[in-house]
Amino acid sequence: MGIKVLFFGSVTDITQVGELSWDYCADTNILMKGLLGRFPALANKKYFLALNQQIIHENCQLKQGDTVAIMPPYSGG
Amino acid sequence: MSSKKQHRIFFQGPIPAQKIADDIQKHAAKTNIGAHSIFLGQVRADELNGEKVVAIEYTAYELMVEEKMAVIREQFFEKYALTCMHIYHSLGRVAVGEICLFVFTSSAHRRDAIDACSEMVETIKKELPIWGKEICTNQSTVWKQNN
Repeated sequence: MGIKVLFFGSVTDITQVGELSWDYCADTNILMKGLLGRFPALANKKYFLALNQQIIHENCQLKQGDTVAIMPPYSGG
Repeated sequence: MSSKKQHRIFFQGPIPAQKIADDIQKHAAKTNIGAHSIFLGQVRADELNGEKVVAIEYTAYELMVEEKMAVIREQFFEKYALTCMHIYHSLGRVAVGEICLFVFTSSAHRRDAIDACSEMVETIKKELPIWGKEICTNQSTVWKQNN
């Protein structure tokens, strides 16, 4: 099942896709390290992470089938 | 009253003025209401690097917005004596001059409707994972930033 990774807003200018499947990894730090390896320009970007639609502020354990979203600051309204 | 109901807030494209009129009319039957407050967000023709904005294209993390809105609605119905609250936000392309956000609160007395409406607009901008991309006359694009 792995991890479902979602990208939004200006982050998609870097990734060119809105969604991808990532091999399972133990926590969000490992996931981000992998994503930064694949998309180095993310390092210069301000973004937040959401794990299963909840904003997270620190490293979190992952389980198979989790969804992690990489989101730049909001600009609705 | 309607605080427990799941409400989808997204509206594909601009919100027509007719919908706003129709929604007001629908409340005529709710005779315990004494006050409505309405906020309408309209796409502005900003100028970016010498190019005029012609539209904003909205995208969102829809599932997260729905989950967050359910919690926010509960909080608002606890904080304010509201009879009802309706919120619509556009997705997709909305041209300059068109309506992209419609917040409609109703209560027995004016203060609750006015305060809830005003706080909800700020909450939407701050808390909901929605993004706007400004599209200019020369087709260049700039991701919108909220102040």
